[in-house]
Amino acid sequence: MSSALYRTFRNYMRSAQRELRMVVYHPRYITLLTLGVVFSYVFFLTLMSEGQPEKLPIAVVDQDGSFLSRRLCHELSATQGVEVVAVFDNHLQARDAMQRLRIFAFLEIPKGTYNEVLQFRRPTITIYSNNAYLLGGSFSYKSLATMTKLACGAVQREVLRKKGYDEKTIGGLIQPVELDTHPLANPTVNYQPYILTTVLPGIVGLMLLMLTIMHLQDWVRNPYERLYLCHGDLMASIWGKLLPYTVWFSLMAIIGNLVMFGFCHFPINGSFFTLSVAMVLYLLALQAMGILLVGLIPETHMSICIGAIYGTLAFTLSGFSYPASSMPGGMHAFGYIFPLRHYYLAYVNIAHFGGTTQQILFHIAVLLAFMMAGYIGIALINKRLSRDGVWKQFAEYKSPLTHAAQ
Amino acid sequence: MNRIYLQIKDIWDVAGMELSRIFHDGGVVLLFCVATLLYPLIFAFVYKNECVRELPIAVVDDSQSVESRRFAHKLDATPEIIVTFRCNNIEEARVLMQQRLINGIVYFPRDYGTKIAEMQTARACLFCDMSSFLYYRSVLSSTSAVLLDEMQFIEAERYERAGMTGESTQQMVQPIRVDDVKLYVPNGGFTSFLVPALLVLVLQQTLFLGMCVLYGTSRQQRQVKKSIPLRLQRGGLLFRVTFGRAMAYFLIYFPMAIINLILLTRLFNLPHIGNPVHVILFIIPFLLAAIFFCMTICSFVRNRDAGIVVFIFFSIILIFISGAIWPQCNMPRFWLLFSYIFPSTHGINGFIRINSMGATLDQVKFEFLILIIQTIVYFFTASGALHILLRFRIGQQHDVSESLQPQQH
Repeated sequence: MSSALYRTFRNYMRSAQRELRMVVYHPRYITLLTLGVVFSYVFFLTLMSEGQPEKLPIAVVDQDGSFLSRRLCHELSATQGVEVVAVFDNHLQARDAMQRLRIFAFLEIPKGTYNEVLQFRRPTITIYSNNAYLLGGSFSYKSLATMTKLACGAVQREVLRKKGYDEKTIGGLIQPVELDTHPLANPTVNYQPYILTTVLPGIVGLMLLMLTIMHLQDWVRNPYERLYLCHGDLMASIWGKLLPYTVWFSLMAIIGNLVMFGFCHFPINGSFFTLSVAMVLYLLALQAMGILLVGLIPETHMSICIGAIYGTLAFTLSGFSYPASSMPGGMHAFGYIFPLRHYYLAYVNIAHFGGTTQQILFHIAVLLAFMMAGYIGIALINKRLSRDGVWKQFAEYKSPLTHAAQ
Repeated sequence: MNRIYLQIKDIWDVAGMELSRIFHDGGVVLLFCVATLLYPLIFAFVYKNECVRELPIAVVDDSQSVESRRFAHKLDATPEIIVTFRCNNIEEARVLMQQRLINGIVYFPRDYGTKIAEMQTARACLFCDMSSFLYYRSVLSSTSAVLLDEMQFIEAERYERAGMTGESTQQMVQPIRVDDVKLYVPNGGFTSFLVPALLVLVLQQTLFLGMCVLYGTSRQQRQVKKSIPLRLQRGGLLFRVTFGRAMAYFLIYFPMAIINLILLTRLFNLPHIGNPVHVILFIIPFLLAAIFFCMTICSFVRNRDAGIVVFIFFSIILIFISGAIWPQCNMPRFWLLFSYIFPSTHGINGFIRINSMGATLDQVKFEFLILIIQTIVYFFTASGALHILLRFRIGQQHDVSESLQPQQH
C-alpha cells in the first residue's frame, strides 16, 4: 500500500518538476500574468486610496444672499465630504454645471429664505443630487442632508433659547431620538473593503482559470512525454502539471490578502489562516472547473472563450456588488456554480462576523465538491484520449529523453 | 479628380476585403454582432430589479414601549426593509446575522420609552451588514427616513405639551423645510447607473476582442499580407489601408452602437432623456477612436488566445477607471491621466451625460475633443503598427509566390 502511495506521489512530483522546468525556460505567460495580478493590486489599492470619496464638488444656488445662506455655504465647505466649488445665481447655471459634471449636487436657497425663517413662515430649500453617478451623488447628498438638518436644528435651538428654555430641555426637544449607527466590520464606511476583497481574488482566479485552460489544451495536444514521465498515470500527470500554478497563485493571493488586511488595515474579525484555506480551495476549485471545461470542449479557442465568459460572469453573479438576493430568481441560484461566490460568502463570514472553520464548513464543502468537476473533466479527457487512440500509441511510446540517456 | 476617385476606390477595396475577411470568420461575426447585444441583455436581466427591496432585519426591543413598537412598525412599512425577526436579545440577532438571515439589527435599549416620556434624548442602535454597499445604503436610508418621521412626531407631541398648537408646532418642528430632488435616476437604481456605462464599454471591448481574433488568426496563419491589396502594400499608401479597414469596422459597429445605445436604453427603460441626434454625433468619434485604438493594439497580438486574457483583464480595469463608479475628481492624478489613453473613459462619461443627464453636445465638448484627438493619434499609430508588421515581415508568408496570387478585384 505504502509503495503504491509513494509511486503516486512520485508521479505527481515528476509531472510538477517537468512543469517547473518548462516555466523556467518559457517564463513568458507566467511573468505576464504575474505582472497583471501585481498591476491590478497596485491599481485598485491606489485608485480608491481615499476609502470614501472626500471633498466632492458641489455648488450652492444662493438667491437669498443673506447671513443664513452664506453661513450654510461656509459650513458646507468645512465638512469633509463635500466642497463648495461654486456659488450660482440661478438654477440654470447650476444644472448646466451638473451636466458638465463640475458638481455632483447643489443646494438651492430661494430668495427671501432668511426673512421667512425670521417670520416663522417655514421656507423650503432644495437639495438636488446627481444619481446618474451613484457614488458621487449619494455621498454628496448625505453631506448636504446632514448639514441642512443641522441648520434646522440651529434655528430651533436659537428660538427655544430666546423663549427661555435651558440647554438640557432644548436638547430633548429638538432631538428626541438619536440613532447610533454601527456599520459592522467597516466602521469608517470605507469603499475599498466592499469591492477589493472580492474583485482582487476574482482577478487572480480569472488569470489562473485562463492559464489552466491554455496549459491543459497544450497538454492534450501532445500528452505522450508527460504521460510517460508519470508511468501513464493520467491524474498525476494533469494535477502535477497544475500544482505549481496553484502554489504560485495561492502565494500571490495570500500575499495580496496580507497587503489588504495587514498593510491597508481592512477589517478582519476571524482568522487569517481560515481565509487563506478558503482562498487555496477557491483557486483549486477554479482549476478543477478549468479541467472540466477542457474535458467538455475539445477546441482550444472555444474553450478559452467559454472560460472567459464563465470567469467574467462570476464578478456579476457572485453578488458582492449587487446582492444576489435581489437578482431575478434563477440568477440567484445560478450564482452558486461560481467558486467566487463561495469564496465571497466565506470571506464575509470570516472577516465580518468572525466565523470559524465550522461556520464556513458549507462553503468549504462546496469548494471541495468543485474538485469533483475536475475528476469528471479528467474522465472526459481520458475518454477522448482513448477515442483518439492515444493510449494505444502510448504503449509503444519511447521518450526521446530516455533514448538520449541510453 | 481622377486621383481622388482612385483614392476612394482604394479605400473601398480595402473595406470590402476586410468585410469579407470578417464575415468569413464565424467567431468574429459572433463577437461583433451577437456578443455586443448579448452582454447588455445579460446585464439588464441580472440587474433587472434596480434596487434592493424587502431586506430582512431583526428588531431587538428591550424597552417594549409604545414608541419602540411604533418605530418598528414604521420600519416594516418602508419598501427597503422588512422586519422578519423579533429577538429577545442582541446575541440572538447576532447569530441570525452571522447565518446571513438578516441584514441589519435595530436595538432599542431598556430606557427608550422612559427617556421619551421624560422629554430626554432617547437612543436607538442600528447595526448594518456591511458585506455589500447596497445593503448598507438601503438599511441606513430607510432607517434614517423613519427616524426623521418619528422625531418630528415626538417633537410635535412635546411642543403640544409645552402649550403650542397647530401651525406654531409645525413652525417649531420644522423651521426650514428641506426638499430633495434626485435628478436623472429618481429611484437611485443600480441598473440605471451601471448599465449605460457597460453598454459603451461592451462596444469597445467586443471590437477589441473581435479584432484580436482576426489579427491573431492572420498572424498565426502567416497571412498578414494577404489581407491587403497588392498595390497598396507600399509604405506610403498604408494610410488608405488603415482608413479602409476602419471603414469596414465602422460600417458594422455604427448600427450596433445605435441598437445598443439608443434602442436598448428605450427597450429596457434605462435612462434616455438625451437627444438621440447628440448621442449619434457623439458616438461617431468614439467609435473611430476605439477602432483605431484597437487596431493599434491588436497589431501586436501574436496569439488570439492571449488577446482574450488581455480583454477580460482590461474590461474590469476600464470600468473602474472610467469614473462611472469611483468619481474622477477623487482619483489619483496618475490614474486619471492613464485613463485618458482609453477611448472608453470619455465615451462612457460623454454617453452617460448626454443620455442619462440630458446634456447637449456643447456640454460634453471636452470629451468630444479628446475623442477626436484620440482618433487622429490612433489613426497614425495604427498605420505605423501596420507599417511595422509589413516592414519587418512579422507574420508574413515565407512563400512569396502565394502572396502574388491574383487579388479579388
